[in-house]
Amino acid sequence: MPTLWLIVIVLILAAVGYVAGRQRSLSSVDGDVRRLHSLPSFYGWNAALWALLPALLALVAWQVMQPVVLNLSTQPMLELDAAQPGALGLAMADVRRVADGLDLAVQTGLMSAEGARGIAPEEVRAQLGGMGIALGSDVTPQTLAAAQHYRGWADVGQWLETALVLLLSVGGLALAWRATNAEFRARNSVERVARWALIAAACIAILTTVGIVLSLIFNTIKFFGLYPASEFFFGTTWSPSFGGSSSLGILPLLWGTLYISFVALVVAVPIGLFSAVYLSEYASPRMRALVKPALEILAGIPTIVYGLFALLTVGPVLMSVFGQGGVLGVTWMGGGTAVMTAGLVMGIMLIPFVSSLSDDIINAVPQSMRDGSLGLGATPSETVRQVVLPAALPGIVGAILLAASRAIGETMIVVLGAGAAANLSLNPLEAMTTVTAKIVSQLTGDADFSSPEALVAFALGMTLFVITLGLNVFALWIVRRYREQYE
Amino acid sequence: MYDAKLDERVTTMDDIKISARGVQVWYGDTHAIKDVDVDIADRTVTAFIGPSGCGKSTFLRCLNRMNDTIDSARVEGTILLDDENIYDKRVDPVQLRAKVGMVFQKPNPFPKSIYDNVAYGPRIHGLARNKAELDDIVEKALRRAALWNEAKDRLQAPGTGLSGGQQQRLCIARAVATEPEVLLMDEPCSALDPIATAQVEELIDELRENFSVVIVTHSMQQAARVSQRTAFFHLGNLVEYDVTDRIFTNPSDPRTESYISGRIG
Amino acid sequence: MTDFTSAGGEAVELRRGQSLLTVDRKTRRRNAAEGRFKVYGLIAISIALVMLVILLVTIVVRGIPAFTQTFVSLDVPLRAEVLDPDGTGDPEVIRGVMTFGYAPLIEEALADAVAETGVQTEIDAAALVQMLSSGVAADIRDRVQENPELVGETVTIEVLASSRADGYFKGRVTRESLERDRNLSPAHLDVLDAMRDAGIVSIHFNWDFVWGADASESRPEEAGIGVAMIGSFFMMLVVLVLSLPIGVAASIYLEEFAPKNRFTDLIEVNISNLAAVPSIVFGILGLAAFIQFAGLPQSAPLVGGLVLTLMTLPTIIISTRASLKAVPPSIRDAALGVGASKMQSVFHHVLPLAMPGILTGTIIGLAQALGETAPLLLIGMVGFIASNRPDGLAEGLLSPNSAMPAQIYEWAKRADPAYYERAWGGIIVLLLFLLAMNLIAILLRRRFERRW
Repeated sequence: MPTLWLIVIVLILAAVGYVAGRQRSLSSVDGDVRRLHSLPSFYGWNAALWALLPALLALVAWQVMQPVVLNLSTQPMLELDAAQPGALGLAMADVRRVADGLDLAVQTGLMSAEGARGIAPEEVRAQLGGMGIALGSDVTPQTLAAAQHYRGWADVGQWLETALVLLLSVGGLALAWRATNAEFRARNSVERVARWALIAAACIAILTTVGIVLSLIFNTIKFFGLYPASEFFFGTTWSPSFGGSSSLGILPLLWGTLYISFVALVVAVPIGLFSAVYLSEYASPRMRALVKPALEILAGIPTIVYGLFALLTVGPVLMSVFGQGGVLGVTWMGGGTAVMTAGLVMGIMLIPFVSSLSDDIINAVPQSMRDGSLGLGATPSETVRQVVLPAALPGIVGAILLAASRAIGETMIVVLGAGAAANLSLNPLEAMTTVTAKIVSQLTGDADFSSPEALVAFALGMTLFVITLGLNVFALWIVRRYREQYE
Repeated sequence: MYDAKLDERVTTMDDIKISARGVQVWYGDTHAIKDVDVDIADRTVTAFIGPSGCGKSTFLRCLNRMNDTIDSARVEGTILLDDENIYDKRVDPVQLRAKVGMVFQKPNPFPKSIYDNVAYGPRIHGLARNKAELDDIVEKALRRAALWNEAKDRLQAPGTGLSGGQQQRLCIARAVATEPEVLLMDEPCSALDPIATAQVEELIDELRENFSVVIVTHSMQQAARVSQRTAFFHLGNLVEYDVTDRIFTNPSDPRTESYISGRIG
Repeated sequence: MTDFTSAGGEAVELRRGQSLLTVDRKTRRRNAAEGRFKVYGLIAISIALVMLVILLVTIVVRGIPAFTQTFVSLDVPLRAEVLDPDGTGDPEVIRGVMTFGYAPLIEEALADAVAETGVQTEIDAAALVQMLSSGVAADIRDRVQENPELVGETVTIEVLASSRADGYFKGRVTRESLERDRNLSPAHLDVLDAMRDAGIVSIHFNWDFVWGADASESRPEEAGIGVAMIGSFFMMLVVLVLSLPIGVAASIYLEEFAPKNRFTDLIEVNISNLAAVPSIVFGILGLAAFIQFAGLPQSAPLVGGLVLTLMTLPTIIISTRASLKAVPPSIRDAALGVGASKMQSVFHHVLPLAMPGILTGTIIGLAQALGETAPLLLIGMVGFIASNRPDGLAEGLLSPNSAMPAQIYEWAKRADPAYYERAWGGIIVLLLFLLAMNLIAILLRRRFERRW
């Protein structure tokens, strides 16, 4: 039975459970609601949940486990050369495609069930091809045998699954039905389930982190199995070639990342900080009411827009100044994409980030501190420079670190604005590339993760994750300690 | 014991330092100070008393134009300091505040070292020509604030690490280091324990040798102990202003009497 | 006491005698520094605002042309001897005629139109067709297949001009730039000018840009953002359906039920850190977990939606918790006081009161997700032509599609500058959506804001 139908049946059983539970609770007290422990609907929900939850959990578990078990039992039949890392995956994909194709053929009536079971290896490709299922190569007897094995057990598995799920659903329903009487604490039982559901939702945050870490770690380990870690971390050239013999040193990428982030911070920090100081210490309420939302617009613009702005506007403008035939008459810039291009635009993007964080932090400095300084005859700017900013310094450092982490992890601006060449150079007008840009270029449009050239993206991702996580944890810690100081 | 001290120190009003006429203050639509006239003598401690929200702190903040820092505040009338109107357009509040220093209700040392806290005013006003002079100023100020003995060995320690009473004395040292002519104190002891309060009160009494001190206080006992003249504020009005002794023994206004005897406040 | 009069004495004495009404030199210098400091602040704010204005003006100026397109109005003779030689009228026969068969008809129609303007040109009919989009034949073929009875008649059809011709009228293409162009020559432009004067060529609003599908690299004039918009819509659907209940449930647990212990701390730390993890890392997660491990299809809006859900959840949880916190404890106490269970007090009283704030936060989270690009690149929502409009929910979620920001990226990467115009135009569409969402959020906040 298809999974979808199974779910529908379980849902129907749950609905039946709701009505039945409600009825039984009412009839157990002859319709006198006051004698029930909980409202009748709680009894209904209780029965419905009993019919639903165990069955659905079993269904999900089965769906996850069945392919794994099937793969493990089918693999030995293929007698593969274990030395080739990608071969197993490809062969299994073939087996599954043949099996699915045969299933489809039976389903659509093009083949009888017996015909599909008895088909000869050399006919498979032609037969399935006729139905629009393309197979890459002729089917070997081995593959066909594996596919038939796969089909057979998938069939059995499906039947077992259906039986188990229905049994659990009906069984749960029966249990709940039996437990339903006036003394049964249905509300507590339902609320316990609701509480667990809430906890499960809260745990998604942990699961996400675990998911990120696992997906990075496994593929990174796989990568280091194919490419030496020392060359990855200390190599100074980056030149992947899918034919093999790539140099995959991360240093040029890290250099590009840090250089661009540095340029961005040089733009964003002074502008953001001075804006925040002016807005919190000098600006009239009306000016604040106008400027702050305007800065927030800058923060709400998607990064793809900034990327396009870098590629199509800032790059050409810089070229017309520093490039060939430019205003300065110099040829310092070879193309529109450069560290400067990406850095400037990223700086603009970070201005509202720095200014709003700094604004919060400056406002957290108590007014009494300002009064103390002004009362001594200090000018507002002396107060800001010598009292407010030093007091806010830890918080501002935290804000800058958060901005740095943003800059390091930013993708679209560098993909479009920084260039593709990995360079270890000091010239800010030269094209360089970053960790994020290379993750994109190594993984885009490629689903085969067996070559070091693709797997390296996970190692890059891992590096990026560790760096930004470290910066974030440190910065959040600083900011929290700073806030506690004035609470 | 306090009575004896008071008698001998009652001064005449010949030497007027600050003279306020027709002062009105609004916070937005709230009329906080209503037509207050007051003369404050030099080298005297003047106390402002009254129930909470009566406007005494607001009036105090007018005397060095601290109300300028609040956007919604509006001040009318004239306040003369040595016969010059401090609300004149030509007056720079920065210069004014160097002459009229202020100590606040809650100790508010800057997050700097003790030394830098005290040296802050002299530095911004350029009172010292070199490091040695600055050291002298800091030491003198700390001695005047009776903090020198406790702080001399840890001048580079952060000011925020001191106890509450010490912090307030540090703030007083910070204020006197700029050599103001008038020292305004806004409930300087309200955040302190009795022992620290006694120390600060003693200090105030000594400060009057050199400064005109104006102190806002909630505590009538404190006003009686430290001040020579007392002004009683009620609902934004200056109800009565006289020699401290007379205010507490023989008030002329019934409102003053009810406040002093504890019926309002 | 020691005598301290020397220290700072002179300066103080000087000041004591000085009038308040004259500003001394030192104060003047300090005030000048004050003024300079203020100016720095103003400069900083001006730079930020000027950048914002430049950015917005650039987007509008360069994006607006994408919404109009150059059309050529042609009287195309749908000759029966070409399309249906045996006169069967059988749709199957007509379907058998490839676009190639329509080419002569279009050439003829165009030549007639040019002759009508009276302009003299040396370009032959086959080369004149370069002025039209190469998709015109397919377009006419589709129309004929829909209405086979048109065969034999002459119909007036508005067809797309080629992107070069379009660019000429929009000022993107100049005569100089065409000297070395293989597709169009300056001589074509004379013809186009004449046709424009004759009213055969016109420029007007092009709905196909807003609702249409992407087109191949060589046909920018046909490309539209409509299908990508549908992709974005399905992704947002997934994000909304998943992140709102999960986010609210997680927030309720953390704000109302969670005991203060290490496990709760762990969740809190995770949420605040996930909010700052670079979006590209979520893309890697999506690729490894949903596509590599779970075997979901590449380029599917469902996967995009799942990734964006995980990315938006922290934002939604943080804002939801803020609105739950804003509900005063007295409401909870009141409900508990009449004998409601904790769960009932939360779901009957606290949650409804916090709902406007939660919805505002959710909309802002959705707006963020709508503009996010980087993770979509990794799960394969770029690099192909998103051409099929899905019919139905399942296909919308599972069949390969693009999304608005990914489509913009795709266009920005293509070589033909005509696609840059479309990328800017796509940005306008995207920003209009974001603007609308933020306005709704602001209105919600204004309308339901409650002061306790």
